[in-house]
Amino acid sequence: MLKLIKEVLRVGEATLPYPFEPIEQMPGFRGKPHHDPEQCIACAACAIACPPNALNITTDLDQGFQTWSLFMGRCIYCGRCEEVCPTGAITLSPDFELAVMNKQDLYERADYKLASCRICGTYFAPIKEIEYAAALLRQSGMSADALADTLSLLEVCPECKRKNDVPKMVSLFQKEGSDVQR
Amino acid sequence: MFSDKPTSQVVAEQSKYSIQLDEQAGQLKAKLLKDIHRSIYVYRIDCGGCNGCEIEIFAALTPLFDVERFGIKVVSSPRHADVLVYTGSMTRSMRVPAMRAYHAAPDPKICVAYGACGSSGGIFHDLYCVWGGADKFIPIDIYIPGCPPTPAVTIYGFAMALGILGQKLKATHHVQGEDEHVLPHYPQVPLALRVDIEREARRMAGYLYGKQIAGKFLELFENDPKHVEQNVQSYLDQQDDPRLTEIMNRLTQNYRTHQGEK
Repeated sequence: MLKLIKEVLRVGEATLPYPFEPIEQMPGFRGKPHHDPEQCIACAACAIACPPNALNITTDLDQGFQTWSLFMGRCIYCGRCEEVCPTGAITLSPDFELAVMNKQDLYERADYKLASCRICGTYFAPIKEIEYAAALLRQSGMSADALADTLSLLEVCPECKRKNDVPKMVSLFQKEGSDVQR
Repeated sequence: MFSDKPTSQVVAEQSKYSIQLDEQAGQLKAKLLKDIHRSIYVYRIDCGGCNGCEIEIFAALTPLFDVERFGIKVVSSPRHADVLVYTGSMTRSMRVPAMRAYHAAPDPKICVAYGACGSSGGIFHDLYCVWGGADKFIPIDIYIPGCPPTPAVTIYGFAMALGILGQKLKATHHVQGEDEHVLPHYPQVPLALRVDIEREARRMAGYLYGKQIAGKFLELFENDPKHVEQNVQSYLDQQDDPRLTEIMNRLTQNYRTHQGEK
């Protein structure tokens, strides 16, 4: 008996005091994805990568808004959103205390404004995404002429781009004197 | 991505099956949630899960986490239970057993949706044979998300049910402000080098860690473009990790190739 008590004293207490004291998480622990809404460009890369569709992007073309949303009830903490995020807006935090009484508290939303096309005026892509693309092009070391040319195309919706491309191509072919009819 | 319309129709269809609490049961339940002055007996119902949640529930019973110190005990019959824990994405064939367990438990009872699947159907939410979460027809009081919830998450969820801890997560809604701009990271790193480093790191270390390692290398470059190799070496000495050293050395080789081309 005395031996047992000695052994118990030697081993000490194994139980973690968790709910009364904070618990230490291992490095590399994947918890709640932390979204920095100001760093996000609403490019939807995370929504495409998310295996359980916890991340969603919905586009409201009438109001000109793109809504990013995260439903924590579905997240499986795989980290694919962190992997694909081009701006580092999403990182998996060690935050794990996510239980809620009300299901609505599991939702996180962020609204982003859409840019309207320079030609037809319809909404087509988030303003921040276009700005980011322009900044990347500037950084990539393009020549000034090519850059100005590309930047003017950035603010045009895909539909208008297609419409503009046809006459451009025709004129290009005619200039080179090739057979367009063929 | 799926539009909202079909989902809401499905929910509307399912709601006719959902259990409605009568007034008295609701009051009793609210009282029970407010202050439980006794041990709680837990019955867990696996409604088509992968068993990950069960493993974590039993991990929470081990001496390391020991939920029995709060009087939480797992029982083998719903007739003894105060708390019903629904795990799994609620498959079509588990709906009736889930309802039977619910009706077998004495009132008032607390229902917990456990894990990503129990809260919403999780990764299986759009399968043909899945109802998508216990809350589709069972009145759920506490949602414990996680895939699976670790023992600490489990303890937190039950501590919330017992009123020891409060809820931390709140719904947020951000609206884009006037002055929000995002600039690319690492403006000093040439684009070709950056692409090369990121590709090589991902090839060596896999998807998430590759990005983190490449990010560290590019950060060292960004901070001091003239002494990249020395800084990488001192970082590696600090970390003392042979796998990291191998990958970082490869990245340094790529960097040298780029410098040579210049």
